[in-house]
This record gives sequence, C-alpha cells and structure tokens, in this order.
Amino acid sequence: MTEEIKPTKTLDVCGEICPYPDVNSMTTLKKMNKGEILEVLTDYPLSVERIPRSAKKWGHKVLMVEQIDGPNHRILIEAFGLK
Amino acid sequence: MNPLAYTGLAVGILFGFALQRGRFCMNSAFRDIVLLKDFTLIKAVGAAILVQMIGFSILALTGAVTLNPKPLFWGANITGGLIFGIGMVLAGGCASGITYRVGEGMVGAMSAVVGFGLAGLMTAMGVLKPIKDYLQSSTKIMTAEGTSLTLANIFGIEPTTLMLLIAAFSIGIWVILASRKKADAEDDFGSAPPSLWGRIFTSGWGWLATGIAIGLVGIRAYPASAAAGRNYPLGITGGWIGTWKALILPDTFFSWEALEVLGVVLGAAIAALIAKEFAIRAPAPKVLLQTFAGGFLMAFGAVTSSGCNVGHILSGVPMLSLGSIVGGISIILGAWLTAYIMFVRPEKA
Repeated sequence: MTEEIKPTKTLDVCGEICPYPDVNSMTTLKKMNKGEILEVLTDYPLSVERIPRSAKKWGHKVLMVEQIDGPNHRILIEAFGLK
Repeated sequence: MNPLAYTGLAVGILFGFALQRGRFCMNSAFRDIVLLKDFTLIKAVGAAILVQMIGFSILALTGAVTLNPKPLFWGANITGGLIFGIGMVLAGGCASGITYRVGEGMVGAMSAVVGFGLAGLMTAMGVLKPIKDYLQSSTKIMTAEGTSLTLANIFGIEPTTLMLLIAAFSIGIWVILASRKKADAEDDFGSAPPSLWGRIFTSGWGWLATGIAIGLVGIRAYPASAAAGRNYPLGITGGWIGTWKALILPDTFFSWEALEVLGVVLGAAIAALIAKEFAIRAPAPKVLLQTFAGGFLMAFGAVTSSGCNVGHILSGVPMLSLGSIVGGISIILGAWLTAYIMFVRPEKA
C-alpha cells in the first residue's frame, strides 16, 4: 500500500522536458542516505520507464511505480546511499 | 491536389502511434548512451534500421521501388548534422520526437516545432538558403555516373546484395552477443501482467517491438510516397516545411510528407488518449525559449544537411547513402557534445 510508505523527499518534475526528470532524479538520489525514500512525480512517459531502469542500475531499490492520473506518475525509490 | 498524398496521412498516423507507444526518440537514444549508459532506445533504432535495410532490398528487388539514397555533400552533411545534434538536445527531442510529442500535448514540443518550421522555411526558401546552397554545392561529390555515393558503389557491390549482407551480418552478431549476456529480468515494478490490449494500448512497448513496428511503417511508407511523386521513405523535415507552405502560400496543398507529419501528430494523440497519457503540459517559459531555439537549429541543420534524424538515420542509412551516414554520425557527435556540456560536465563539477 502506498499509504504506508512515507517518502523522505519528494521531487516534482512534472512538466519538465527530457532529460530533466531523469537527471534531477538521479542527482537527488546520489545525495540521499541509504534507506531514504525519494518520491518522484513525473508526467513524461519515457521517464516513467527510464527512471526505474536507471535507479536500478545505480543500486537503488525501486519500490513502486504508480499511475496517479493521466500521464502523471509517482515513483518511489529507496536510495542505496552513494555518498 | 494529389489524392495519393493522403496515403501520407495514413502512414503518418501509424508512424505517430508507434513512436508514442515506443517512446521512440533518437535524441534520447543517443544521449542516454553517454548520460545514463542506457542502451534501450538505441537498440530500437538499430532494429528499425535493420528491418528497413531488409525491407527496402526486397522492395527494390521486386521492383516496387527504385532506391533513392541522398547524395553526399560532406560539408553540408557535417555542418548541418552537428548543428542538428546541438538543436536536438536543446529541444529535448529529435525531429520525429518533437513532432509526436505535440500529439501528446507537450507545449515544449509545440514550441520546438514552431521554431523548426520557421528555420525550415528560412533555410529552404528564405534568408538562410544561400548558406545551405553554398555548403551543399561546394562539397558535393557524386559517382562518375552522377548518382549518389553509397557503400555499395564505393565497394562495387550491387546495392540490395550489400544491404542484405550487412543486415544479415549485423543481426547475426547482435543475436550472438545478446545470447551470451545473462538475460536481465524485465521488472514490472509491481504492476500486474497486462492483457494483449494492455500490451498494445496502455503499456509502453519494448525496444524490439518498437523497432520492428517502425521499420515496417518505413517499408510501407516508401512505395506509398513514391506513388505520390516523392521517391523516399519516411521523413519529417520536409513535412513541416510542406505544412507551412500549404498554410501560407496560395494554391499550395499539403504534400505527401506534410500529411505524413500531421498524421504523426494525430497518431501519437490517438495513442496517448487511449493510454490515458494525453495531457497539455508545459515547462517553464525559459525552457520554451530553449526548445524554440533547439527546434530552430534542428531545422537549419536538417535542411542544410538534406536530412534530419529520420531522413538520414532512419531512412537513408538502410540505403547505405554516404551522405546519410556522414550526416547521421555528425548528428550523434553534435548531440553527444551538447549533452556532455549541458548534463555530464555539471554533474562532475
């Protein structure tokens, strides 16, 4: 249940053009501590698919990808702790 | 008005639908390699090229089309390609990318498309035309027979034979490499496995399905366009120029390519609406300025180079056109340089 996961930080990149949703998400994740949870809000279909892929590659854990309304999606990622 | 031009609309709708479903954008395909080390989209591009390489050979062998690779004007191909690459990163999408995203409701793409049309007109028939003409005429190299330089005539191999050989060889190598790699489980990230309707209309397509679909659209496009008087597969740049010409000039109707481009917008809109991915969304005003500038540079580059990412990389490379290969490589280099400056270097700072 998404209600149970409380994000440490929310990044709203709705409206941003490619590749800003991805770049901002990855940069933010890099600066987060292990176990902290980032909530990304994006409305860009490619980023909805690509951000989880990139996060996984860097060792972060994708907890959930959820469609909120239309193209608006919510991605919950647990940071690996790259600092 | 040419009634056969309407096949352009049909082809465009299929193209736009596949582009939206596959999130197919060459800007991302090239940039993701250096920025995210993500090869998903470039594999789709590769698949589309190889499918068309085979398809165009068969079309030519059966007499359905005569191959019409673009000529080499190396100075124009390189300059235009580099500038196109720069513009594409600023615009946040390649020529087909910004076009299909108009259909998704993205205002950033609309701004890019307006800049694109403006520069397209200026370079094709306006104040920027002399630059294009000079670059093309001063560096044009044709074969002794006056035909376009291709890998086929350079190596003295019959074109369709070489196209089929390269395609077969490339696919063979690709399959071997892919089978050696441990298969990465495709993550659903929690969603239930979708139905057939879901896989086509609501989930995004995988890279192989996307590449094959776009390749097939390109194969369908070639004879349709040729029948309407435009002997070339898919294009975008000429389509936007043709659209503006039809709107502005008297007694000028929409060309095949213009209808194709409008079809792309429509097809993408249909795909987005069904998938509930349509929404008017806009970035900050200064980003709109950036995408406008990007679109402007793209069209100047594309008209100068005589091809954009679609005209050169998607349609020209399968025909082994040297101009398209040089133009295509220049586009990639321009994009990588710009992406490095804008995104990679600031990260390292």
